[in-house]
Amino acid sequence: MGKGKPFLEVLASAIHEDYRFPFLEIFAFLYALGTFVFASFGVSITAIGATSQAMATANEVIAYGAVSSILSLPLLILIILVFKNIAYGLGSDLEKGIIQTYFSYPLKRWGILTAKLLSALGVALLLFLGIQISALYILAPDIILPQLGTVFLTYAASLSYPLLIAGIMLLLTLKLRRGGISLVVGLVLYFAMSMVSGIATIFAIFTENPVSLQIISAISPSLVLQQYYIASLGDFWAPALSEVLLYTGVSYVIVAAVFALGYTYFSRRLNL
Amino acid sequence: MALIVAEDLAKSYGKVVAVDSLNLTLDEGSVTGLIGPNGAGKTTTIKMILGLLKPDKGWVKVFGQDPWDNTAIRSMIGVVYEKAFFPAHQKTLEYLQRVCRIFGVSESRAMEVLEMVNLQEASDRQIKALSAGMLQKFAIAHALVHSPKLIVADEMTANLDPQARSELLEVVLQLNRDEKVAFLLSSHILPELSRVCDSVAIINRGKVWAFGKLSELYEKYAVGIIRVTTDSSYALEAEIRKLNYVKGLESDIRGISVRVVEGKEDELYEDVPKLAKKIKAKILGIETGSASMQELYRLAISAKERK
Repeated sequence: MGKGKPFLEVLASAIHEDYRFPFLEIFAFLYALGTFVFASFGVSITAIGATSQAMATANEVIAYGAVSSILSLPLLILIILVFKNIAYGLGSDLEKGIIQTYFSYPLKRWGILTAKLLSALGVALLLFLGIQISALYILAPDIILPQLGTVFLTYAASLSYPLLIAGIMLLLTLKLRRGGISLVVGLVLYFAMSMVSGIATIFAIFTENPVSLQIISAISPSLVLQQYYIASLGDFWAPALSEVLLYTGVSYVIVAAVFALGYTYFSRRLNL
Repeated sequence: MALIVAEDLAKSYGKVVAVDSLNLTLDEGSVTGLIGPNGAGKTTTIKMILGLLKPDKGWVKVFGQDPWDNTAIRSMIGVVYEKAFFPAHQKTLEYLQRVCRIFGVSESRAMEVLEMVNLQEASDRQIKALSAGMLQKFAIAHALVHSPKLIVADEMTANLDPQARSELLEVVLQLNRDEKVAFLLSSHILPELSRVCDSVAIINRGKVWAFGKLSELYEKYAVGIIRVTTDSSYALEAEIRKLNYVKGLESDIRGISVRVVEGKEDELYEDVPKLAKKIKAKILGIETGSASMQELYRLAISAKERK
């Protein structure tokens, strides 16, 4: 018997299921719609909104504004797609026994999970970034190209929260092993986290104490990034670039820890 | 060489003990049946053998190795689950070709295995469009793709019609005879198992209550069996049970299988009509005969329970 390609085949099978017609078409359309439609307005509005308290330069602020204007809606679409693929997709695979079928192939458990995540998350991200980068290059090359560092940092800071959500969804799904229930619990959790974040922001503004914002920034560094570039929450917290980098780094460490937990559980503890 | 060795295997789900101190050995080239009632622990045992569940206690070795996350073992085992599930939106032949690539075998094998289970006409159908019986056949074809040395099947024929069952059992016999493929088959359809199995493990309440070659088990549990056919099995059973030379008995709607101490068969022939007269039951027949697999199972269970 020759050596097969179990990883690539399981990945192809997972992609086939996750992005079967019309899911890929619908989500690609929504990404494109959210990116291109909002971009034309977002750049100018955000640029105008830049305040004098911000720590960044004007060009950086404009680049940040351009990126964040095309990010907001597609980021929400990304989260919905990840919810569909991880909570519903992986959850249903666990519930119905498809993972059990994959476990009869000569592929390690971590390889099976990687294939599933690459399909659920990797392809969704690739689609998201592909359309985003194309849009930036087409719509505002003169703003973006000189500020690649700002662009990269904005994406890095904005994506860690959806990735954290994906990691938490993974843990929930592995524990619940029910597609529908995982989806509902995940949505509730997502809205609960958003509410906590909102309350923490309001609390910080009223008390003029940045501690709650700093805590939220550790899991959602787009907040510290926003404060760094446009200081929209007021001048009681003026984070430096090093702080932005620190919070972004910490958020990715948390994301990595959550995924590591998911991998460990899947590989060593998951009884089917 | 033993393909599967399980020793002192135990698994609980919360307070429910599914498998308790289970010992089992499966030899190369054998067809072993795992029989037992619902909830006996068959599926849990199979899942531990396949490395899907970690035992709470004891150990299991498959091809001499721990099956948990073991890719080498997976290349040598074909698996058929009680409820077969595959990525629903892929076509049967295309998915099996994918499985061929996974195991590194020629893609032409996909059609071969579909033909083996008589499913070639559904080769262009999406998996989700298969009926329950066809899906089960597909699962069997899926298990055969890489020509495994051992096939572990949990209620393999559960969703099949009688003809398909018969055809499939032929496939089992043929694979065992010609290619020396070993089988571990769990089923509650006992006559089927007696047709293909050379060994049987009777599992109940998570333990193997009897295990061995079918001939040995018949010799051990089914010698001295007398079948009494009557119109009131359960009433007569209560009377026969009082006889001190009766070693075991099982009754069903049609009659009673009585196992007596060796040499006491004639006494039973004399006593049964008297007992029947006493309770006004009608005796339709008394004959010495060999036990069916069903009776063997019952006798083994009742013998163990008496201990």
